[in-house]
Amino acid sequence: MSTDNIKMLEIYRKLLLARLFEERVYKLVLEGLVIGSVHLSTGEEAASVGTIAALRKEDYILPTHRGHVQHLTKGADPSRLLAELAGKETGYCKGISGSIHIFDKENNNLGSNGIVGGQFPIAVGAGMAIKYKKSDSVVACFFGDGSSNQGWFYELLNLASLWDLPIAFICINNLYGMGTPYTKTSVAKVHEKAMPFKIKTEVVDGNDVYKVYESMKGLLKYMKAKSKPVLLECLTYRWMGHSCHDQRPYRSTDEINKWKAKDPVKIAEDQLFKKGILKKSTDIIKDELNAVLDNAEKFARESAFSEFSDDMQL
Amino acid sequence: MAKIKYRDAIKAAIAEEMRKDKDIFIIGEDIAKGYEGCFGVTTDLVKEFGTERIIDTPISEASIIGAAMGASMLGIKTIAEIMFEDFITVGFDGIVNQAAKLKTMSGGQYNLNMVVRTPGGAGGLGVQHSQCLESVFMHFPGLYIAIPSNAYDAKGLLKKAINYGNPVIFFEHQRLYNIESEIPEEEYYIDFGKANIIKEGSDLTMVAFSYMIKVSQEAIEVLEKKHNISIELIDPRTLVPLDYGTITDSVKKTNKLVIVEEGVLRAGVGSEIASEINEKCFDYLDYPVRRIASKNYLVPLNPKMSKSIVPNKERIIKEVEELFFSK
Repeated sequence: MSTDNIKMLEIYRKLLLARLFEERVYKLVLEGLVIGSVHLSTGEEAASVGTIAALRKEDYILPTHRGHVQHLTKGADPSRLLAELAGKETGYCKGISGSIHIFDKENNNLGSNGIVGGQFPIAVGAGMAIKYKKSDSVVACFFGDGSSNQGWFYELLNLASLWDLPIAFICINNLYGMGTPYTKTSVAKVHEKAMPFKIKTEVVDGNDVYKVYESMKGLLKYMKAKSKPVLLECLTYRWMGHSCHDQRPYRSTDEINKWKAKDPVKIAEDQLFKKGILKKSTDIIKDELNAVLDNAEKFARESAFSEFSDDMQL
Repeated sequence: MAKIKYRDAIKAAIAEEMRKDKDIFIIGEDIAKGYEGCFGVTTDLVKEFGTERIIDTPISEASIIGAAMGASMLGIKTIAEIMFEDFITVGFDGIVNQAAKLKTMSGGQYNLNMVVRTPGGAGGLGVQHSQCLESVFMHFPGLYIAIPSNAYDAKGLLKKAINYGNPVIFFEHQRLYNIESEIPEEEYYIDFGKANIIKEGSDLTMVAFSYMIKVSQEAIEVLEKKHNISIELIDPRTLVPLDYGTITDSVKKTNKLVIVEEGVLRAGVGSEIASEINEKCFDYLDYPVRRIASKNYLVPLNPKMSKSIVPNKERIIKEVEELFFSK
């Protein structure tokens, strides 16, 4: 097996874990174990998996509110992640924060944000600190198509370019900001918004995890060579609603089915079979990952809620 | 001991800390080259520390505050200068939703050494260059607030704030920058949550902070002579944490409390202190706690109107007399 093949298989495992994790979360939301505001990435996992697979541990990420897959791929432990989603004290943030606010310092995950676009100003500082310390890390700043309409986005584009900050902007364009189609909210495509700031941009099929990975690798190479920020727009689609309780009246079944036919997991599997990296079925990998998630679920279920005491007041 | 201006004390605090720790930088508008600080606080710092550490930014307050936070998450101690307190609202999200919550929201994984310095107060520069917004920021758990009234406190509090491990809003005042106080040669830090009893007294407790300390001192001089009384003046120095112990001890002695602040009356710092003292010291109070604050209005350019709105010596004297000595 060549290194490329090993990497391809490793990426596939991450992609499949992402899919299975999100499906598990949805099941646990319906059951009531997972609580709070929960935004799933089912259908758009490849964009997060492919980009983060090209990063190193010493690189930073600023995930979005739809960030489970970003946390997992950067190295988060599924058990602690699921425990946090359930509000339990064994979670990443002691159960205080839940799905939209996951921080994982150990893996250089600077945390997802409940304020759409709230990560942009923070990215300025992360980029400045990396540059100040003369480290070769980068910060991957994830955002959705919707948050490209926040004013902070343009400040970040300007500053990143003006100061040559090591920021990779990664747009996961899933076509909708909550229930509003992107085309109703902006006259420019997301990547076009970076062009006046002289930032190198690329658009990629966000459902093909290997294409995403290759694009990201290429852009990171460019960043290192030129010391410039970059922007990658991943075109994809979320199968689920904006949050778990969204009935999705604003989208047609036809549209959803059309995108489901471009299933990122299937697209990856087809390539692995074609290359002979996978011989028969993926059941063994699936069983293995499901066992990991069974453990995670058990861990979350059996963990306790922490108590508040008055001396905790700030 | 040397007499040093408030602005130079702040500069000295920054320089001393930056010399000790290379992982500190300042970021703000017009702080390095050219202007070197709108109020001259950062003048000459760039000569010693260079533009890598004294960083001029575009006019992007939200990014300045976000930058201070993001860099601090990666281990830099940051000082952000917001040119006027009024402009801080442009970066409000970065303070109240991000920085204030980070430590708790991340389950203690991240903490911040991050100071946002900003001058407020009525300096005659117009409605959106004159506000005192400290009470707004008191509301958010996770934020800490220093508000020095003199050069000595400014230096000691800022040195503490830079290393505090929590986000600090450091409220300066336009009218204090030129005022001098004695500062020792040796290094010192001032702890947060420790009020300063500026003047002891037995008949009335007055709590004030920032520029209102100076105004209160002028009023106290008149009141004490005229009525043969002694007034205790307390400067809390930090509003979060707030040293209620010193205030309650004083109120138990004097049985009267007046709070003087420059921000507007409604939901002000005085409202908060009054409620707390009411709960803690009700049995000791001879009169209701009196809040003296700016009227619920804007700070106008017109100096005649402004005089009726922002507390001054005459108004403090009148209100104290009305409350305690009119019978």
